[in-house]
Amino acid sequence: MSRTVTSRRLKICLAASSGGHLSQLMKLEEAWQAHETFFITTGKMVVKHITERHQARVYAVGESNHNHPFKVIRTFVRCLMILLRERPDVVVSTGAAHGCICSLLCKLMGGKVVWVDSIANMKRLSLSGRIVRPFADLCITQWPDISANFRHTEYHGQLI
Amino acid sequence: MILVTVGTQFAFDRLVKAVDAAVGAGVVCDEVFAQIAGGWRPVNMAWVDSLDSEKFSAHVAEADAIIGHAGIGTILAAFEARKPVLVMPRMKRYGEAVNDHQVATAREFAARGHLLAALGTEEVPEMIKALLEFTPAKRTASGATIVTRVKSFLESVSRVG
Repeated sequence: MSRTVTSRRLKICLAASSGGHLSQLMKLEEAWQAHETFFITTGKMVVKHITERHQARVYAVGESNHNHPFKVIRTFVRCLMILLRERPDVVVSTGAAHGCICSLLCKLMGGKVVWVDSIANMKRLSLSGRIVRPFADLCITQWPDISANFRHTEYHGQLI
Repeated sequence: MILVTVGTQFAFDRLVKAVDAAVGAGVVCDEVFAQIAGGWRPVNMAWVDSLDSEKFSAHVAEADAIIGHAGIGTILAAFEARKPVLVMPRMKRYGEAVNDHQVATAREFAARGHLLAALGTEEVPEMIKALLEFTPAKRTASGATIVTRVKSFLESVSRVG
């Protein structure tokens, strides 16, 4: 007896800091547009544009990086609240710090993680990328030398 | 019009001051408009702290050339609008960035002729003059292969049964 395989629409958390990370995430639109999506970004000035263009919920959690531990903790709490409410199947992220946090949280909640490291990181994976790589389900770098030197990373050309 | 932009996240006074000084010295005759992210306020050019996505795109479309930090958002916007762009990388040693990835970005894209790069403020006036004559080499990357890979991964996750 044959088994029927069907597809369901995933709920995808799209996590990218405003600026270049978000620009690169938008270049992946064709990959995620068939699914239900919501965005977690950092700055408020992109919220209106994303809401109008993609008719998706957008959360702005503020900027953070590893030099500001209190901001990282604040961002962690905000992302945790959002992900507990939304329960995404997958996080797709191009970075940066909050993308790393969302990836970790989604994995702990039983979801999958797709990490596309920013083209800006040409010598090695970003710090966030290095943290996420061991547990990412798909980890992509935009530089062939990085893929050659970091196990479990794939190279498929560049987004820009 | 020349658009100066420092990106969405942090001020970049070293760049804004250098461009402002060049404008004051008459290096540029065009109108110059700067987005400064809350930093040092120029005296020789009009400025604003932030631009939402639509206003930023409109300014990019209107600009004859762009001067900015070497952030990927700025660079991508310039490439997509086919505008010549001059970048100055933020540097870790000045507390402008957490690492020197912008220096690598600036050097890599400049080496391939896609943009001009000024690594220090002393280079800015000369590079602004070069920017006004600069025709960038076109990028051919499209992202299609990455999109295909991510799409097929998501499809495999969505298959049940």
